[in-house]
Amino acid sequence: MDNSAKHLLQRLVRRIPVSMLKSTLDKWERLTAEKRKSLDFTQSKWIITQELVALCEKSELTVKHITELEMIYLTAFCLFVCFLFPDDAHSVELMQFKELFKSHLRELQRNVSVKIKKHTDQAVWIRVAWGDGLSSPNHLKATYVVLYLQTPYVFVNALSSKHKPLLLQALTLSTRHQQIKAANLSGQKLTALRDLLMRQYQQVSQPPLMRHRMARETFGDGMLPALQSAVFKLETKFKGPTNEAMTQRDEPFICSVKFSSSNLLESLRHCASSGIASTPVTPMLSSIPLKGRNYFVITDNVLTA
Amino acid sequence: WNAERRRRRRRRRRPRRRLVSSFCYCLLFSSELWSVNRAWRGLAKGTLSYVTPLYQFRHTQLKSYSRQLSAFIAAEKQEGLAVEVGGLQNTFKVSFSVLRFRQEDPPKTVWCGWLSCINGNPEYLQSLPKDFTCLPLFCSKGAEDLSSLVKSWLQRTFDCCFGPLDINQTTLQWLAALWTNCHMETNIQNLKMIWTLPVLPPLQVTYTVDSDDVLDLWRSTRESSAEKSREAEDEVCIDFSEVTRFMQGLMSHFYRHFRVDLSAGELNQVSSALGSAKVNGKIKISSSRYLISIFSLLTECALLKMPI
Repeated sequence: MDNSAKHLLQRLVRRIPVSMLKSTLDKWERLTAEKRKSLDFTQSKWIITQELVALCEKSELTVKHITELEMIYLTAFCLFVCFLFPDDAHSVELMQFKELFKSHLRELQRNVSVKIKKHTDQAVWIRVAWGDGLSSPNHLKATYVVLYLQTPYVFVNALSSKHKPLLLQALTLSTRHQQIKAANLSGQKLTALRDLLMRQYQQVSQPPLMRHRMARETFGDGMLPALQSAVFKLETKFKGPTNEAMTQRDEPFICSVKFSSSNLLESLRHCASSGIASTPVTPMLSSIPLKGRNYFVITDNVLTA
Repeated sequence: WNAERRRRRRRRRRPRRRLVSSFCYCLLFSSELWSVNRAWRGLAKGTLSYVTPLYQFRHTQLKSYSRQLSAFIAAEKQEGLAVEVGGLQNTFKVSFSVLRFRQEDPPKTVWCGWLSCINGNPEYLQSLPKDFTCLPLFCSKGAEDLSSLVKSWLQRTFDCCFGPLDINQTTLQWLAALWTNCHMETNIQNLKMIWTLPVLPPLQVTYTVDSDDVLDLWRSTRESSAEKSREAEDEVCIDFSEVTRFMQGLMSHFYRHFRVDLSAGELNQVSSALGSAKVNGKIKISSSRYLISIFSLLTECALLKMPI
């Protein structure tokens, strides 16, 4: 473990109150249970710090791991995730983002204290202490935001409903997106949420250029014939990742889906290029231009009718 | 004499009225009153608006309000401002009544509307100044010009304002779940949901699920508990997390086939045989089941939209 990592760890442990240290280390999971048990939290902080540094050295932890610990401590309360939309918006440079975010936020609320820091793993940390026209920023109740500039995900914690619209607006504008929505994902471990989303993001999403190309390849270039609707009658078994009762069902889940638009093919192409439809485009949708059909009956045996 | 009257009134003053969080007042243009059983049916369709609290609205003054509104409309007619007022004949009657007491069936009604507050948030209601009555949900059905006249009169008389009620995503999802739940007793035929995806040109997705299958999905997402399967007459105990899981189930089945993320769009409409609701405030309720729950949701929507 190099000196910078040691130094970072020491500084960090100094900040974490002993009462929270044990639970934070437990959540961190970088030290085995045995190692954690060996720490005696009744000793003085200084001794605990020394012991902890020694343990981390033995486990060969790096700065990256230490920053994870920092994230866990700082976002020990419930985090919720937001999703910036559309996700193929040009990503901004860090410096540009910093300027824009600070200026937008200050326009919306006077007396805010904003600190932005970039971590080694591409995470941008923002700490906002809120004041208002009359009082100075309250540093005891700061809001923490973590975002990864190349992705549409934003992790937020400790945000009151009063400040929520201000923060979300500042984030949307400074990252040059159009809107921000709650992603129905929340939890207490930032690293878990982050890994979940990044894995999904890498799996599902391709770089914008590739998406654009695949969208054009599937649906065509330029003006598309103005087909207005497509109907799919689905008679397949229920497919849902978390619902055991339904996936074990033998009977099909009968439903029908109708897509309509003033120009359906253009809408679908835009869905693919903007990431709303994952690429490569599913055969269900690509069958429309490929087979020249807009009515399909889909059963489990014939997934593309 | 006035001073004397004031003194007497002060002594007679009753203690502050018990907070009433549910009230529904109807405005009808007809000459008869409606029966309770059939009343809601004709009224549960129309366009919703929110209304800010009404200043000095007195439920004891309904007859007087009926007369005043009548006179107002007649005057507007005469001034030629509304030449063909929604088909009103020269003689018509305005009736302002409380939903509860009705006796006979109505003859032809050309316009009707209602003001209501069902299970309004008690904290908000208590925070209002004494002279204000909160009936935030307004529904109108009938000719648009009559709606404007009535709103205009209400604004003038009670110093309130109107605004369009967008039924939010949460409420639409609740309705989807509530109506699906109803399928256990009444055939809802199917559950239809319409989303709009923000692409160019905008893409509309109409996702219709068979009633038995959607009920199975709904039941599978509810926490299993013997008590929960027995619901009280009008009340149903549903947690919003169950509604969320239900919607996620629907969306993930969709995603598995089309690899399109519906949550990137907006749910615009939910409908079944029991009724329909659109994000622009148009509702139609064809069954009295869960009427109170539905109106409570809509009241909450209206209170949220209130600018004050």
